[in-house]
Amino acid sequence: MKSTKAWAALAVLALAVAGCGSGSGSQEPGKTTITFWDNNGGTRTPIYQELIKRFEAANPTIHVEYVGIPIASVQQKYDTAIAGGDTPDVGGVTTSYLANLVGQQALEPADDWLGKSAVNGKLAAPMIKSVRDTVTDGKLYLVPGTSNMDVVWYLKDKLPEPPATWDEFFTDTAELTKAPDQYGYTIRGGAGSIFQVLAEMYAYSGVTQFFDASGKSTVNDPKNVEYLTKLAAMYKKDTPEADVTNDFPKMVAAFGTGKIAMMHHNLGSYNDHVKAHGADKIGAFALPAGASGKRTIVANPVDGFAVFKGSEHKDAAWKFVEFLVSKESNSYWNQQTGQIPANTEAQGDSWVTGLPHLKTAVDVLNDPATAVVSPPYYLPQFSSITKADTEPLFQKVLLKQMSPQEFLDTMAQKLTDAQAEWKKAHGG
Amino acid sequence: MSTGVMARPRGAHATASGSRRRQGRDRGRVLRLYVPLGLYLLFTVVPFYWMLVFALRPSGSTTPVPWPITFEHFTTVWNDIGYAMFFRNSVIVGVWSLLATTVLAVMGGYALSRFRFRGRSLFMVVLLCTQFIPGAMLLIPLFSIFKSLGLINSLGSLILADTVFNLPLSIILMSGFITAVPYSVEEAAMVDGCTRLRAFLAVVLPQLRPGLIAVGSFAFIHTWNNFLFALMFVSRQDSFTIPVGLSYTIGEYSADFGALAAGGVVAAVPVVCVFAVIQRYLVHGISAGAVKG
Amino acid sequence: MATLRRRAVPYLLISPTVVLIAAFLVYPIGSVAYYSLQNRNLTRPWADGFAGLDNFRRMLFEDELFWQSLAFTAKWVVTEIGLQLLLGLVLALIVNESFIGRGLARSLVFSPWAVSGVLTTGIWILLYTPQTGVLRFLGQPETAVLGNLDTVFPAVVVAELWRGVPFFAILLLAGLQGIPGELYEAAAVDGAGRIRRFRHVTLPHLRDAIVLATLLRSVWEFNNVDLLYTLTGGGPAQVTTTLPLYVAQRAVDSKDFGYGSALTMAGFVILLFFSILYLRLSRFGEER
Repeated sequence: MKSTKAWAALAVLALAVAGCGSGSGSQEPGKTTITFWDNNGGTRTPIYQELIKRFEAANPTIHVEYVGIPIASVQQKYDTAIAGGDTPDVGGVTTSYLANLVGQQALEPADDWLGKSAVNGKLAAPMIKSVRDTVTDGKLYLVPGTSNMDVVWYLKDKLPEPPATWDEFFTDTAELTKAPDQYGYTIRGGAGSIFQVLAEMYAYSGVTQFFDASGKSTVNDPKNVEYLTKLAAMYKKDTPEADVTNDFPKMVAAFGTGKIAMMHHNLGSYNDHVKAHGADKIGAFALPAGASGKRTIVANPVDGFAVFKGSEHKDAAWKFVEFLVSKESNSYWNQQTGQIPANTEAQGDSWVTGLPHLKTAVDVLNDPATAVVSPPYYLPQFSSITKADTEPLFQKVLLKQMSPQEFLDTMAQKLTDAQAEWKKAHGG
Repeated sequence: MSTGVMARPRGAHATASGSRRRQGRDRGRVLRLYVPLGLYLLFTVVPFYWMLVFALRPSGSTTPVPWPITFEHFTTVWNDIGYAMFFRNSVIVGVWSLLATTVLAVMGGYALSRFRFRGRSLFMVVLLCTQFIPGAMLLIPLFSIFKSLGLINSLGSLILADTVFNLPLSIILMSGFITAVPYSVEEAAMVDGCTRLRAFLAVVLPQLRPGLIAVGSFAFIHTWNNFLFALMFVSRQDSFTIPVGLSYTIGEYSADFGALAAGGVVAAVPVVCVFAVIQRYLVHGISAGAVKG
Repeated sequence: MATLRRRAVPYLLISPTVVLIAAFLVYPIGSVAYYSLQNRNLTRPWADGFAGLDNFRRMLFEDELFWQSLAFTAKWVVTEIGLQLLLGLVLALIVNESFIGRGLARSLVFSPWAVSGVLTTGIWILLYTPQTGVLRFLGQPETAVLGNLDTVFPAVVVAELWRGVPFFAILLLAGLQGIPGELYEAAAVDGAGRIRRFRHVTLPHLRDAIVLATLLRSVWEFNNVDLLYTLTGGGPAQVTTTLPLYVAQRAVDSKDFGYGSALTMAGFVILLFFSILYLRLSRFGEER
């Protein structure tokens, strides 16, 4: 009978807990509630909570309900919600999956709203263009909030002067590697590997188009193959063996121990490195220019805000979006995350030039000599090709089961085919 | 019973043969019990210890002992990430799903175990079939069903979904436990004039305690740990559960292992403690029960 | 009248379960079967439509990874279940004895079971990543167990054992309670040693519990992907990709829901076949 008592106690506990929670979520009359899904819930939650507090103070008739979605599951969450017809009013979206969401007719274009908005003309033109290029109809389905750039993070006590050329990079990597467990560099070999490899290859080769005039992918350009061959040769020699399954958390965990001198990621991981090493020990440099001397960068996805078609409170939703990309909010958000604001007025804020890594990035982006390679985010298959299809193959390259040439030929073929199929489907 | 009577002289014989044999037995006991148990405990405890180390030492530290101790990660998860709310939700969903699963599993398990009814085998196969498809493939249709029932965004949808998914396994397990209780005891009670229900409650249920604990804890823990349903069927920050909270700490742009570990401690400690209390009911004292008397 | 009521009892008892399964599982499972015959790919919406058996043809004749993942699934399930059963049984027998500190030992032994999937993988990532792990303190500073083709399988097996063994231990410990003490006494009278008592008393009594636990746990190990997904992502180079993990890569990551459904149906048929075969072979539930 003792067990019966235990069950009863548990039941009472549950009821008690349930009881104290009832009453939450009740709606005040005359107030509009909109839902906002953060596409990278977690450490960024407090930033949005602060912004929502400010927004609600300025707009007492609107209540914003914040929902943080873990970044690893955000596409699945959106796909499920769209299929089930239960989308938020406003959602954080990046161009890397924008084509998919637009393909499912889930988003409301922002063009009409932007035309009348106070932020019109104040959002960075390249970012707006990048968003428009992602979709076939050229409409603005996403209001840019931030942009990112690939950088190599390094520890200043190990590497006083960052490499200016790729040759220096390779030399530094070799010199900084010391047995038994000090390494010059770490390769991202697990989830998310392909984008970083693309960024490095194109920076090295200086190829400026993703597809040539005939629609063939340039991924297997001889110079790209040359870089990948060098990178694969570094694996296990100047980089840890564990790199082959390195995803972002593992890579950051390894870098955080101070045994690895350089790590390629983007501006967004700034806070992780500061937490592990302190702001003054961390430096960042842009991927060096290749033999041609022309600095080439692969455009990062643009992250921003979309209003969903299913929203019943579109006016309030746009109002919230407008608030998020206004100078003050946009500045606050990007200062907290260490990324590049989309609002051009916020770009001029003093903290932007005060953060050395950000200054490096902005200088490179604003340099007219910099060539920007735009990956085909408009191809709905792009994310599938660069993740599930080729990530395992890249591991084979590192493990010497596949040659760099074969790997890049395979990826190029997939991209070329996808491009052709997409053009055909859209009558191009 | 006759066996009990017969065992007695043997026991007397054993005490007579002196203490030397007992010493040998003790050494055997150490080898047989403590050595494998000790090794296994080491295997169990090292990962927990490592979690504690990461939860208690500052970020960036690489020492094998958490010194100096810091509680910053705990404040992060409790205050910034909102574990207090997630924790509450997890308890609600877990306990309700546990209760529903256990009650329905006892009913279904009893039917499977005590009756040879038409469709019994089919029922069993259907139960098994429900386990053959990964939950990820069922998300979208399940979502539509819940939406049409108006259950999306409530803890009720989680309780229901988790119960439905726990139930087949629990019924099959429970039927095994019920079969292990001899039908003769139950029949005897019914002959004495009890209804089937009274006989079950009075005679079978007490002997079923280990099975109830086992099945109940499986149901609870499956629910407690279910990440996919918790994230997909709920889109309200104040209705998320602990696994969603844990996944916040690890992702692109934030790999805060200290927070993950601290969140892990918060998630694991209460369950481990509750389990530590109820594990003794896993073993029912047969000597004290009705069987021997 | 009485017989009618008696006949109705089992149906009444299973009715809530039947209703729940009919309401919540029949349609979703049916929809997977339906989509396995469709082209349904969010990244190629222009090609959606009836596919007939194309998905299955592609799976059986063109997809090496399907066969590779199937072979790995078999290896994974057999290894895990074999070791979990063995260790679980040994543990259950040990903690069923009475000794000082038994309660504590039991709580500790069972505790990994209470740890969630997200957390289990988090802990093992920390343990296995060379720079954050324990091997560093054992004089192996650069042992990347997850990145090495020779060590990755044992490494994931150990991590899964950590949280899987308690399931067997708990179930078998509960099963051990159903064995009447008199049987052991009678066996002792007959002069049976410890091993013979185990073979002739314990094991036969645990038979059904073992059959059930291995079956249910096999299905679970077959279908569950959280640990492998986070720990290795199915890699390196797909060597730790199980069939359901491959399903997740196709249906969730690549959004090819039609093909993912076909793969799921393959898993469904395989599990159904082996479950029925196993129950038949083990003569589960038959009177002894």
